[in-house]
Amino acid sequence: MSEQIHLEKIDDYRWRIPKSYKPGMRVPGLIYADEKLLKDIYQDKALEQVANVAFLPGIVDNSLAMPDIHWGYGFPIGGVAATDIEEGGVISPGGVGFDINCGIRLVRTDLRYEDIKDKLSDLVYALFNGVPAGVGSKGDIRVSAREEKELLVKGAKWAVEQGYGTQEDLECTEENGAISGADPEAVSQRAYERGKAQSGTLGSGNHFLEVQVIDQLFDAELCDTFGLDLGQVTIMIHSGSRGFGYQVCEDYVKNMVHCLNKYNINVPDRQLACAPVNSPEGKMYLGAMRCAANYAWANRQCLMHLTRLAFEKIFASSWQKLGMFLIYDVAHNIAKVEKYEINGKEKNLCVHRKGATRAFPPNHPALPERYKKTGQPVIIPGDMGRNSYLLVGTEKAVETFYSTCHGAGRVKSRTASTKSTNLNVLLKDLESKGIMVKASGRATLVEEAPSAYKDVNDVVNVVHRAGISKRVCRMRPVGVIKG
Amino acid sequence: MKKKTYVIFEHTADIGIRVSGSNLKDLFKNAGLAIFELSSEKISNQDKSHKEISIQQKADNLEELFLNWLNEVLSLSAAKGVIFESFKFKRLDEKNLQAVGVGSSITNYKVNTEIKAATYHQLKIKKNKSGWQAEVILDV
Repeated sequence: MSEQIHLEKIDDYRWRIPKSYKPGMRVPGLIYADEKLLKDIYQDKALEQVANVAFLPGIVDNSLAMPDIHWGYGFPIGGVAATDIEEGGVISPGGVGFDINCGIRLVRTDLRYEDIKDKLSDLVYALFNGVPAGVGSKGDIRVSAREEKELLVKGAKWAVEQGYGTQEDLECTEENGAISGADPEAVSQRAYERGKAQSGTLGSGNHFLEVQVIDQLFDAELCDTFGLDLGQVTIMIHSGSRGFGYQVCEDYVKNMVHCLNKYNINVPDRQLACAPVNSPEGKMYLGAMRCAANYAWANRQCLMHLTRLAFEKIFASSWQKLGMFLIYDVAHNIAKVEKYEINGKEKNLCVHRKGATRAFPPNHPALPERYKKTGQPVIIPGDMGRNSYLLVGTEKAVETFYSTCHGAGRVKSRTASTKSTNLNVLLKDLESKGIMVKASGRATLVEEAPSAYKDVNDVVNVVHRAGISKRVCRMRPVGVIKG
Repeated sequence: MKKKTYVIFEHTADIGIRVSGSNLKDLFKNAGLAIFELSSEKISNQDKSHKEISIQQKADNLEELFLNWLNEVLSLSAAKGVIFESFKFKRLDEKNLQAVGVGSSITNYKVNTEIKAATYHQLKIKKNKSGWQAEVILDV
């Protein structure tokens, strides 16, 4: 419980943990939430973790928390921290997490709900059979040892070169699906071993593939630009870097625990182990983390390819004719080097987003031409029983280093959810809402029950009202594939 | 009936376990076995082969050694496609560990929960009257 932390109210959506809360905090904590969400946030130790992140050397402005914040390990989930690289700013593998470049992609279609409702069962089974899911699942997309190194550098481009997508897909992916600076030499043999055969697999836990229908438009003009309308079918894919990323994180936490003494760094939790970005250890981690990020982009590209194949089979048409084009793919567990103006000076910052989504504003140089006017598409998945959202980035979000929420955020532990959820009741409830679910394990379903999550509508309301991103449209799930 | 050597404690997103052991080797063994008991259930015995894998770790202190141990067995399990069913320790002190893990093919198991790693967050190891106890949060 974080009840002992007194938050200072800045406005209806911003709350501060003063620097005086704990000796050693270099900056205040800043939490985006409304009073309703704060009640949940106080229930666990996430606020204490926001204060702990404020200890990181070189941290700039605030230790930030998005409204979907909850208790993690080291960083809270929903935490954002930017460090000034030239001022000894650090990079922390714990600030990225084990599932490096866990992220999400949104695919549009020309199909409408009426086109799929009678084929939903076939479609869900085709997706379940076509897209490998589950713990340690292995895919049909085989990658040789030589190719794996290439994949780590080329990311989603590797997948496109194998015929699993198009150039246009890459334009609609953060970093064009391959962040530069990936260093395969910084990756351990064990990581290669763990990542082998997992390309093109969804994984388990909160990862999913969803068929959705747009049920609310918030900005008609933006929807037009994205080619989206009420009743239209979309697809969302949530996955990451699988065992490869877990091993990279583990290797570097192990290494960086020793950097705390070496660089005289004081943090209250060893899971915040870190090293200066410019140190040999920091540079090596960045090189390895970027490999894992590229692995994840290749993985989601392969997953989308398999999804397109399943749709082609059910609707006996090509994916192009079905209008299955990628809207965007964005990471929500990553550290990025980005330029910001701090006190009138341009600075290179290392922005950690641990369960937070990059949300660049209109005209940002990193955006592809097609999104220069709209701002970056921001994709926010909810739980399997409620909604998901498409948002866009805003200029106001410069105060969060162009970051926003990443999902609904857990409110109930997995064990509590398992104890309080009856699988049959859950499935009946989802069925009554017109949602068909197929999962490789019963355990995942009860752990991931909607009641285990905050209402994504409340979370998105906060980021929209606070102005750090803008609502475009809302989707409801109709077909869910879980690991 | 087998004595329960661990209990689960609540964490919003992940799983916390409190493990006990009559001595240090027992604690390490029980913690190692707990993570597989938590994540998987045996559904067949078709593949009767067993793999013996030697495990060595060094650390600056006991907590680090304990964490490295758990992460090494998780990592080996994923990389080698085995679920560990027993451990034997040749050597264990506060900074060094030499053990052999005996694993059965993962195809004999249904893995329900993917444990990504063990974390330092709120990690505790202490000696008490009846032996040793540790608390660790696992990222799932």
